Amino acid sequence: MSALRIRGLEVRYGSHRVLGGVDLELGEGEFLGLVGPSGCGKSTLLRCVAGLVQPESGHVEVFGNPVRGPCPEVGILFQDDALLPWRTARENVALPLRFRGASPREAQEQADRWLRRVGLEGFGDHYPSELSGGMRKRVALAQVLAVRPRLLLMDEPFASVDAIVRHVLEVDFCRLVAEAGTAVLLVTHDLEEAISLCDRVAVMSAGPGARIVAVYQIPFGRPRDPVAVRAENEFGPLVRAVWETLQVEVARMGWELSA
Amino acid sequence: MSRVVALTVFLGGWELASRARWLDPFLFPPPSGVAWVVYELVRSGQVWPHFRVTVTEALAGLVLGTGTGAVLGLVCAGFRPLAEVVEPAMALLNAIPRVILAPVFVIWLGIGMASKVALSFLLVMVVMFFATYTGIREVDGRLVERVRTLGGGRREVVREVYVPSVTAWVASGLKVAVGFAFTGAVVGEFVASSQGLGYLLSFAQSTYNASLTLALIALVVGVILLLFWGFGSLERWWLRWKPEYRSRRAHPQALPRTVRPAEQVP
Repeated sequence: MSALRIRGLEVRYGSHRVLGGVDLELGEGEFLGLVGPSGCGKSTLLRCVAGLVQPESGHVEVFGNPVRGPCPEVGILFQDDALLPWRTARENVALPLRFRGASPREAQEQADRWLRRVGLEGFGDHYPSELSGGMRKRVALAQVLAVRPRLLLMDEPFASVDAIVRHVLEVDFCRLVAEAGTAVLLVTHDLEEAISLCDRVAVMSAGPGARIVAVYQIPFGRPRDPVAVRAENEFGPLVRAVWETLQVEVARMGWELSA
Repeated sequence: MSRVVALTVFLGGWELASRARWLDPFLFPPPSGVAWVVYELVRSGQVWPHFRVTVTEALAGLVLGTGTGAVLGLVCAGFRPLAEVVEPAMALLNAIPRVILAPVFVIWLGIGMASKVALSFLLVMVVMFFATYTGIREVDGRLVERVRTLGGGRREVVREVYVPSVTAWVASGLKVAVGFAFTGAVVGEFVASSQGLGYLLSFAQSTYNASLTLALIALVVGVILLLFWGFGSLERWWLRWKPEYRSRRAHPQALPRTVRPAEQVP
């Protein structure tokens, strides 16, 4: 069974046709990167899968079930680490566990275990405003992984932290998700990030009416080190190939850099 | 520290100028003289009945105004047609100096405590209405979405997002409201009354007793500062997650400061 199956997905915002027939499939435990020009509808696609946006037509299935709203098997990590500012790191991680009916004590213990796994032991009592950007990302990651989702949707999850913190996060992320066997759909504007983390990379066309124009198979196996893999011989040519496809789409958008 | 120095210099200078008769001590009695009058007022017990009346009026106005304002703000945020009527009315009340209504309340409610409670209530209610109303409308949509995607339903969204973010606004509004509650009570007594600190003040003023006037002002300011401090500590504890109230481990990353309600005219 595939983790995610999207067929002929169309989305409109009023008269604006954002997605025009997207087909995409994601196997269990697979990492799929999704790149495309700014504003092409990558995030909209993700929000559709998350059940936050209603499609115009087409269908989205997660583990064989049509998506009707936020679903417990799907974890979501968006760019802004929207942690609750009035909850400590521990309480934030415990939150989804509580929603699923865990007792307060059990949820706290699990939250502490996850904080340890993401390298934040001893920071359980800190409020988000007391943590650095990279640490907040880690809390958000722990929060999402704590309920063991089978599919993880990520939208530029590491965009707001500096390059070094980002590489460290990528390495830790790969390790954690590989252990859990979670399937990942990663939206990013960073080609190298997509290639270094994923099993396949899909390129989306410029909007309106965006669709998938190409899918690249990434030859590196897993487990892998997403930083070391950048030194492989195939890495450079792959970046170039994806970029050439993407360039055509970017050129179609002109130089408007809309969000 | 510099504030303490400035205050000492100011009071010391005044004391000196008054004692040296550079300032007319009849109009500008020295601070030590004023302090003596405060002491006498408290010691003789003369001031207590008046003090009690004013504090009762202010607290009644504060409690009623906070309750009504919060409930009204809550209902308006949830029910648009009502908001379209109430919000402009509140904005108007907010824009005018509301104490202008004091004489009307005296005519309607008499010179007793009721007219002062009403004025105090009105001042507080408008502040708390806006605190609650904006608090609900300014709720961060990303947090609502986050709680939903983590598996929270309607109830969890209210409990985890709406309640804490509204109480943050209400807590900041409360400090402003304390000052307003006393403004309402004292000004109301000023206009027409037979008891209260405002009544004593107006009596002292009419007899050109500068020492007594300043002593009473000092007393009122003292009470308000005490309440400010109390509510301030409560706020700091309640909003301890905010970076500006952070007293513990410091980390350079900070969230943008929360916007406070605009300056309000009493």
